[in-house]
Amino acid sequence: MKFNDTVFNTIDNGIIILDENLNILAWNRWLEIRTNILKEKIENKNICKEFPYIDEKKLKRKVKAALVTKNPSYFNVDPHKHLIKIRINSINANYEFMQQDVTIVPYDLDRKIVCLYIYDKTALREINLKLERANKELIDLTNKDYLTKVYNRRYFNEYSEKALELAKRNKQDISIIAIDIDRFKKINDTYGHNVGDEVLIEVANIFKNSIRKSDIVARFGGEEFIILLINAKVDEATAIAEKMRVKIEDTIINVDDNEVDITASFGVATVNQESNETIETTLKRADDLLYIAKKHGRNEVVNSL
Amino acid sequence: MSNFAQFNEEEKDCLQELMNISYGSATAAIADIINKEATLSIPNIKTVTTKEFKDYLKEKLNVQKEYFITNQLISGSFCGETMFVIDRKSTENLALEFDLDEEEVKDDDELKDVILEISNIITSTTLSKLAGLIETSISFSPPQVEIVKNSEAFYRNYINEYDHIIIISTDIIFKEQNISGELLILSKDEATIFLKEALNKVLEEF
Repeated sequence: MKFNDTVFNTIDNGIIILDENLNILAWNRWLEIRTNILKEKIENKNICKEFPYIDEKKLKRKVKAALVTKNPSYFNVDPHKHLIKIRINSINANYEFMQQDVTIVPYDLDRKIVCLYIYDKTALREINLKLERANKELIDLTNKDYLTKVYNRRYFNEYSEKALELAKRNKQDISIIAIDIDRFKKINDTYGHNVGDEVLIEVANIFKNSIRKSDIVARFGGEEFIILLINAKVDEATAIAEKMRVKIEDTIINVDDNEVDITASFGVATVNQESNETIETTLKRADDLLYIAKKHGRNEVVNSL
Repeated sequence: MSNFAQFNEEEKDCLQELMNISYGSATAAIADIINKEATLSIPNIKTVTTKEFKDYLKEKLNVQKEYFITNQLISGSFCGETMFVIDRKSTENLALEFDLDEEEVKDDDELKDVILEISNIITSTTLSKLAGLIETSISFSPPQVEIVKNSEAFYRNYINEYDHIIIISTDIIFKEQNISGELLILSKDEATIFLKEALNKVLEEF
């Protein structure tokens, strides 16, 4: 019995021995089974020719690093996902191919030969992926409104303070739009809460689709929404509010055989940074302007400098 | 602060000299592997408590910048870990030195790979050389990398891990490119005691 061969062929890792030109000198049983490629078919062939998706320049550099430093170099799973594509057959898998960490160690420094150890990290990556998703759900639950999926008041307060600090540093304007859906109580009373909820979701989607990535929409309660616009002067914020007003006016919610028309009123205010105005005060001004829009007959945008 | 975890001036000088020799191996390796000339500044050595380490990092990490930070565990008599801290702009410039194209430089995964590679080269050559000089053996775990946007969250990990920390820091500067990163070697009390004994042995011999 050749002791070394037994270890080489029973270990639960892939092992490849490569020369500095990336020719395969040995290919263990673990790889034969998982790739369905026998060592006789692959030995003495160039690994990058057999697997053209491998970045040759990068692999050569890492092999050289192991030989020069006389220490391991790595192909981490995080950036690379895998070295050799091995398909996963589980129906529960989130990954198409086995996720691999690869360690390249000097094997024979005089002959410039290295050994690659391939570790299966799929299970660990699966757990991490699930944790990341659960974490994101938790963050969403804390920061977002359960019905409309826009941010809640708590998150708005936290975010807007930081945004104002940044805007001051970058000498940018920051504007707030306060919005209230017109006659929402009547919609709820006439068609029921399910339709009311549908209206809230539809309107929230219009807001989300009308702003930039840096801006945020928050539901402050009931049918009241607030939008924070970064780097937007009052006339720019008013133009955005007017576009949203028209979109809402053009939206019809179908309920059984009825069509529900919706409109909304808007108040727009920009933080007066010269007088060190706070977000809270600007919010109050936007709310007062919204009240004026309601008094004027609703479905209107009212702004103030 | 415990006296155990402190170096006297003579020990500090000796460690600085040994680190200088060790960094020579790192710059030679970088020149050989990517054909670029890098310089490593004279190492700065100090012993701090975890609280002081937090302040040290706070001073280093600009809140407005994004950093790539790698960690690599060291096993053996001189155990601990290394941290390599580099901001995004330097990382992108470093990636160009690694011959990545403009598109690849925009890809965080590619940038992570570059940082893992350079920090592994510097850590493994420097510390293997140092281990040889103090006649001990060490091995390394694969490095991990994270992009740090919120430095506050990052500090917390270290507070639980260490009692005292030796910081051996050096700036890595590539000529003709605006690249500057810092390598920190962190070691726990027992490793510091081992290192003190090893340094005294070296001092006795010379």
